[in-house]
Formats: sequence, structure tokens, C-alpha cells
Amino acid sequence: MDVKVMFFGVLAEVTGTTFLNYTGVKTLSDLRQRITDRHPEIVHYNYRIAVNNLFTDDDCTLSDGDEVAFLPPFAGG
Amino acid sequence: MHKFLSEGPLTAEQLSRLMSLMKDRSDTGGHSLFIGQVRADIVNNKSVTAIEYSAYESMVNDEAESIIAQIRTEFSDVKTVEILHSTGIVKAGEVSLAVMVSAGHRQQAIQACSKTVELIKERLPVWKKELLEDNSHIWRENRG
Repeated sequence: MDVKVMFFGVLAEVTGTTFLNYTGVKTLSDLRQRITDRHPEIVHYNYRIAVNNLFTDDDCTLSDGDEVAFLPPFAGG
Repeated sequence: MHKFLSEGPLTAEQLSRLMSLMKDRSDTGGHSLFIGQVRADIVNNKSVTAIEYSAYESMVNDEAESIIAQIRTEFSDVKTVEILHSTGIVKAGEVSLAVMVSAGHRQQAIQACSKTVELIKERLPVWKKELLEDNSHIWRENRG
């Protein structure tokens, strides 16, 4: 399963990237664990996750080509 | 698809274009225009010189459409809602947000415009990095 992962705002700064591809990920909790292993400092930040533009939770199963976004608190306006 | 994001500060021409939309309608009697400007706040004794905005564009489009649909449901007299938000660097004193709501009558135009701005701050996936005079920066969150 190939998924596209995007980081925004302060999370792009913390992870040092705005975009990563992950292969072989089945669920969102698997993905979160892999990202936390790679960027342990991310646990200190508040964020929500959207899959294909919809907020979701840890139990979500991922499909090939899904777009997973890590979204810190919004600050528009 | 409607374009809600614009690179850099919003220009007088863009604001003028928003206002010129009203000439195409004859069913509206009131228009409320909100303009958001970058303020030179003092943060940790340093002045904010600019804000760098970033956005999740595809989700901005979905959320902006959803906000407009919600406003039109809640305010039956509202005819149109226009939203334009900057991305990239906007210097202090420049304009980063424009919202224009057109309605049959002024009360709903004003109330709906205010509500739209609040929903933008709550729901639009946009982030702001305040750039300070000593070249440091701080990430700012909207308060609930």
C-alpha cells in the first residue's frame, strides 16, 4: 500500500519535509507509529489527521494512493 | 473550481474585482466586506514584520465550499459569499483576507460576513508563521 503523507505548518518544520511516500502501510495507526519512530519529536505537538481531506482516527484502513495530511491547529485569517 | 487562495498580499485590484461583482446582480440590497490586514504585533519585544501563510489547498477548497454552503443555509437572505485568502509572505500593513457577503438586506449581510470570518479561522487549513524583525519566527495558532 503506497500512501502520500503531507506535513503542514510547524510539523513541516519539525519533520524537515512537507511530503513523504510510505510503502506497505495498512492502517493509520501503523503509519502514525512509523512516523513517530522516524520523527519522535512529533509527539510534543498537537495535530489532527485528514485522509483524502476528511478528518479521521487511528482505526482507519488505508488504501493505495491515499493522501494523509498531518495538520497542526489552524491559523487562517 | 472556485479559487480561494492567492499568492502574496491581496491587491487593490483583487478587492476592486470582488466589489465589482455586485454590479451583475439586482436582487441584493446589502454587501458586507471584511478585510483582514497583517498587524505589526510585538512578540517577545520584537516586531512582526510579515506573516508567511501556508495552506493545504485541496482541503481549503473543500472547506471553503462547505463554509459557503453552511452560511447560505443559515442565512436565507444571503445570495453570494466570496472568500479570498493569501498564501506566502504578506508584510505588515498588507491585506491577507477578504470576505464579501451579499444579501437582500443589510442585517444578514453583516451577520453572515462575521460568521464566515469566524468559520474561516476555525476550519480553513491555513497556517501562519510570524516573521520577526530579528529574522526569528513564531508559529501562531487561532484561539478557539
